[in-house]
Order: sequence, then C-alpha cells, then structure tokens
Amino acid sequence: MAKLIRFPKTGSAQLVPNDWQVFRATEGEESAALPQGHVIVPFSWWLTRGSKEQHQARVQKDEIGVWFAPEDDVLAHGEAISAGLKVWPILAVDFPIFRDGRGYSTAALLRERFSWEGELRAIGDVLIDQLLPLARIGFDSFAIRNDQHPDVALAQFNSVAYVFQNDWRRERSQKQVSPV
Amino acid sequence: MYKYDEIDQRLVDDRVTQFRDQVKRRIADDLSEEEFRPLRLQNGLYLQRHAYMLRVAIPYGLFNSAQMRVLGHIAKKYDRGYGHFTTRQNIQYNWLNLEDTPDILAELAKVQMHAIQTSGNCIRNITSDPFAGVAGDEVVDPRAVCELLRQWSTLHPEFAYLPRKFKIAVSASQEDRAIVAAHDVGLYLHKNHQGELLADVLVGGGMGRTPILGVIIKRDLPWQELPNYLSAVLRVYNRFGRRDNMYKARIKILVKALGSEEFARQVESEYEHWVGGNSTFTEAEWQRVAQHFTKPAYQTASALTTQQVIQLADEIDQKAFARWLERNVKAHQVPGYASVVLSLKPHGTVAPGDVTTDQMLAIADLADTYSFGEIRATHEQNLVLADVAQANLYSLWKDAKTQGLVLPNIGYLTDIIACPGGDFCSLANAKSIPIANAIQKRFDDLDYLHDLGDISLNISGCMNSCGHHHVGNIGILGVDKDGEEWYQVTLGGEQGNKASIGKVIGPSFYAEDMPDVISQVIDVFVEQREPEEKFIEAVRRLGIAPFKERVYQDRPNRKTASEVSHG
Repeated sequence: MAKLIRFPKTGSAQLVPNDWQVFRATEGEESAALPQGHVIVPFSWWLTRGSKEQHQARVQKDEIGVWFAPEDDVLAHGEAISAGLKVWPILAVDFPIFRDGRGYSTAALLRERFSWEGELRAIGDVLIDQLLPLARIGFDSFAIRNDQHPDVALAQFNSVAYVFQNDWRRERSQKQVSPV
Repeated sequence: MYKYDEIDQRLVDDRVTQFRDQVKRRIADDLSEEEFRPLRLQNGLYLQRHAYMLRVAIPYGLFNSAQMRVLGHIAKKYDRGYGHFTTRQNIQYNWLNLEDTPDILAELAKVQMHAIQTSGNCIRNITSDPFAGVAGDEVVDPRAVCELLRQWSTLHPEFAYLPRKFKIAVSASQEDRAIVAAHDVGLYLHKNHQGELLADVLVGGGMGRTPILGVIIKRDLPWQELPNYLSAVLRVYNRFGRRDNMYKARIKILVKALGSEEFARQVESEYEHWVGGNSTFTEAEWQRVAQHFTKPAYQTASALTTQQVIQLADEIDQKAFARWLERNVKAHQVPGYASVVLSLKPHGTVAPGDVTTDQMLAIADLADTYSFGEIRATHEQNLVLADVAQANLYSLWKDAKTQGLVLPNIGYLTDIIACPGGDFCSLANAKSIPIANAIQKRFDDLDYLHDLGDISLNISGCMNSCGHHHVGNIGILGVDKDGEEWYQVTLGGEQGNKASIGKVIGPSFYAEDMPDVISQVIDVFVEQREPEEKFIEAVRRLGIAPFKERVYQDRPNRKTASEVSHG
C-alpha cells in the first residue's frame, strides 16, 4: 500500500499508517468483488453500485470511501455527492498523471462548495513537488508514489513562508500598511 | 515602480531554495527529466537546441537600472555576453548550464526579480502597455492592477497545471498597445462617471496554430472583483479545457467549442460563488501597491515644440536627430517631457531584441541620467525610457548613439519582431533571425523606409507564434517540409484597436527568396498607394490579390500551403 502522509489543516505533516486501499475497477471489472477492509471506490462505481443492498453493511461500518477521477464533474452530481458525504468517511482525488491539474479544482470544489471537512486524499501519481499546492488547495492526506522519498516529501510542507492567495489553510499574506 | 516588501522578498527567496533543491535532485537523477520538466518550466527554464534557456520575468515590462545591471552581469558571467528581449516583455538567456540556474535566480532575487511562471501551463507573466503611467492617451494607469494580478497569479495553488499556458494582458489607453484581444484573457480598464475603476474582460484570444481574437464576456467589472471573476474563468478552463491534444488545449478552443455566450454563462455560474468573497481585492491592498506607482519628481518645464528640440542639436546632427525625434520619441502626459524608444533593431547585424552586456550597462546609466532610473521593455522587442525631459533629448541621443541604440526605425519595416527561431529554439521549424537580418539589409535605407511609413513585419519560426506573425502587417511563418525550411507569408494583420489576423497569400517560399518576396510586396504597395496611405490601409483597400499576383508570377513551383506540414 502506498506510503501515506497526513497533514491536517492545523498541525504538522507526518508519515502515518495507511489503512485504506484504493479499488480501481477498470472497465469490465466493475462487478469484481470489493476487497475486504477499508476501501476507496471510484465515484462512477459508487453511482451505479454503491447503493446496492449487499454493500450497505460495509457502508454503515464506515468501510467505503469514494475517489474522483479527473473527468468526474462534481458539480453535475451535486445531489449524489451531498448524499454521499453523509456516509463517506473519506474522499480521494486521483491523479493518473501528476500534471493533470483537474484534481486541484475538484478538491477546491469539495472543500468550498460541498463544505467537506473530512479527510481528502490525493492518490495516483502523487509526487514530492506537487505536495505544496495540493496541501494548499485542500488535500490533507497524500498517498505518495512508491518511489518518492518520505523525508524529502515531508520537508515540502514547510518550504514557503508566505502565500499570495487565500487557500484552504490560510488567508493570503499581506503586509499591513497604515491608511494614507 | 513596485518595490518588494518582506513578503514578496521572502516568497522569491523561498522559491530559489526550492528550485535549488529540485535541480540537485534532478542532477542526482532522483527526479526524472519528465517530472522535472514542468518544474523547471514554471521557473522559466527551457532545454533548447544547444543549452538551457532561462526566461526572466519583467512584470508588465517595467524594470529599473539596478535590475538592468544585474541582467547585464548575468549575461556576462553565465551566458555569452548578451540577452534577448522577447515579445512577452521579458528577457531570456540562451546559453546556460543547468547547474548555474539556482545561482542565477538567487542573483535575480537580490534585485527583486524572478523567473516564476515565465513558461509552463500556468498563468504567465502579465503584459501591458509599455507607456503605462506616461502615455498621452491614457485613460487610467493600469500598473497597480497589473501588480495586484501579478501577486494574485504567482504560485496560485489551483492553476499551476492548466491544460496549457494562460496569458493575461492589460490595457488602459485610447490606443491598445498590448494586443489585448490576442490573449487568453484581456482586460480593458476604464473609469465610470463615479470614478470607479472597472474592467471589460475579453476571453479566448490567442495566436498559435489557430489565431483567434478574444471577445468581451464581461463588462464593467469592478477592479476589486478581478481575482473572483478570473478565478471563475480559470476554474471553468481548468476543469473543461482539452487535455488530449496540446494544440487544442488553449482556452480559445474551449470558448470556441462552447460558444462565447455559453462559456460566459458557465463562468457566471461559478462567479456567483466568488463575488464579494474573501478573495476580493481590498482598499488596503490597493494602497499597498498603488503607492509605488506615483509620478516621479518631474521638473516644471514648458513644452518645447519639435523645432525647439531640434535646435538643441549641433547643426551637423540635426537631420539625424530630427528623424529620431519623429520615429523614436513619443508624446508624454507631462509638459516638457517625452518617452524615448531605444531601437534594438540595427539593420542586419543582430537578432531583433538582442542586447549585449555593455549595452545593458549603458542603458542602465541612461535610465539613471535621463529617466528616473526606470526602463520598460516593449512587446515589439525595444526598450523605452519613459520620462525624459525634452531639454535632455539631444544629450540622451548622443549618449545612446555611442551604443548603437538610436536607429530611427521604430514602426518601420525594419523594426522587425522575431522569435529566436531555429537558431536556438527546439520548438522551431525554421530559422527567424537570418530572415529578419536579410530583410533589414535589403531595406537598409532610412529615406526609403521613411517614404514607406508604418509597416509592421513579424516573424515566427513555428506555429507557436512567439513572433506574433498573425498580427504583423506582413507576417512570416517558418514551416517545415521534409526537413526543409519554408516560409509562409500573410498580409493584413494588425495590432492595436483594429487588431486583425493576417491572411495567407499562398504557397511558401525558400529562405533565400524572402527578401525578394518582401520587395515585391512593397513594390505593389508603392505603385498602388494613394497619397499618405499606410501599408495596412492599402492592403485593406486592395485585398491580397495584387500582392499575390506579383509575388507568384515568376514562382510557379512553390509549395502549396496544404503540402506543408505545420508540425
């Protein structure tokens, strides 16, 4: 399982055990059995199968979270997501390739528009040099790719003192000037 | 001009440290080239044909003498003694080592400069009118808005991995000198009757392979709302812009696919959630930034007539000086002052926009002596000393002449805009510089150029259109066919308020044909011109047919456009 960094909104970043596995049901495998334990399922899978009776017990036990693909339009599924947020213990956004930036807007919308305050995990091609913007936009959990060095990764979160935009963690840095 | 406070300074210092670490990991091969690439690009670093190229940001084209000296020093210490001013009002170096780049960025940071977001699929350096704050036709001074937007766009966490690059231009004068409509987002600033600063927002312009002029999708947006509205535009683009094909990934393609009304509707529905929110620019922010854009300490002087200025010169210099006054000196808001354009377009000897270290140091001195220490870079690849007392113009002219910076060719056919092209750029299909130089040599006659009047000639070495060929009165585009370099010619492009995209006249030409082709185009103009008519007006009146006919009459075997790949 991928190495996991947690960086809560308040607090510091640290390496923690990862007890969620990501279920990547690719086309044709949607009916594959869900793995046991804590599982993050594709949002598209949830839409078609998540409400099935057979999964309800596990949903009740907080064993099923959901991940969004870059092309998932979260605003177009407002109702399903608002309902899901009541039962999902964790959300994740997938980065099939690190330079596909759609997941940043997905994360921002989950935080701003859906007011999600729970864990939001970046999964997939999650690399050291994108951790800072990911953390700023709303991720507080990072399943870094296996070859990424955890110590170098952890150092990223303290690498800048100031920011020029409001983000999920803080207001933009501004020098106060006395009114003229 | 804007001066960093400790927050700005720390931000660029942190960025240098971060990049130093990334370069170290790259050299140790802990970071693959593929994963390093977007990181270095967002710090302005390209891997070109021969070496690394670094593009240094000059936000909205405004910089000072101390910065110019460091730019000159960097050229000498790390490069080959020159730099290249670009069509994005930036400067770039062509011959760098990767290992040196963190040190170069550290030297830049000491004079409040950086290379952040001068490349990459992010919000690029914001461009504006090089005569901002001094232009006679200014509606409002756009610089505070430009600076606020520079800060807002710098290291934006949501928009660092857009489908493609994103360029913003701002103009706030009668005449648009920033080609606003050719940008992903363009802003026209103005004031209403209550004196409130407002912006008209254009979206979906761009050059490249599919040149499109942007359209206004929002009128009279209060300046405070700019971060909100632009965030909405960018979020819609980031979510829905195409990522499957880099040639169709600019926002203009999305706007075209949706239609500008539908695009505007989607933006509006996102913007509803932002309007009046905590990203709104505040009065305190305005004051913090705008205090740096006050007027310099102008001397009270009465305006001199051109004749009076000419009389300042020694008799032997008067003809050349008068010509320079006519072409290279522009009207100023303040009586007794003028703005001077230093030509970086000598005829046929260097790449358009190139300056040597010696010239950079001399220009810094000129700025200190004559123009309150400030310099502006233009998208036409010249430099401007914006605040020169008319009484000092002759003295400035003599000083600048020793550096070869007073060729009175601004706006003439030889004031060629050109990208670095195939001599340097790994994207280019064809060379640009030798074509520019050959045309400059062909037309190396100031009397003739004077008779021809205003003609813009723009050259791009590939479809990325860094030479802005689409908006040149004469546009030249380098194309590649089976490893050979060909050149396609367009006529009728224009920047400014009547911005338009040029039309291709027909099949492409060999490099060696180009001076003759341009001569023939000019011959048709000269023969058919009406009194005082400008070249662009003649092209509009005549259409491209007579030019086409002349150019192809002895060239039956040229490549047709469809045969030539645009790869």
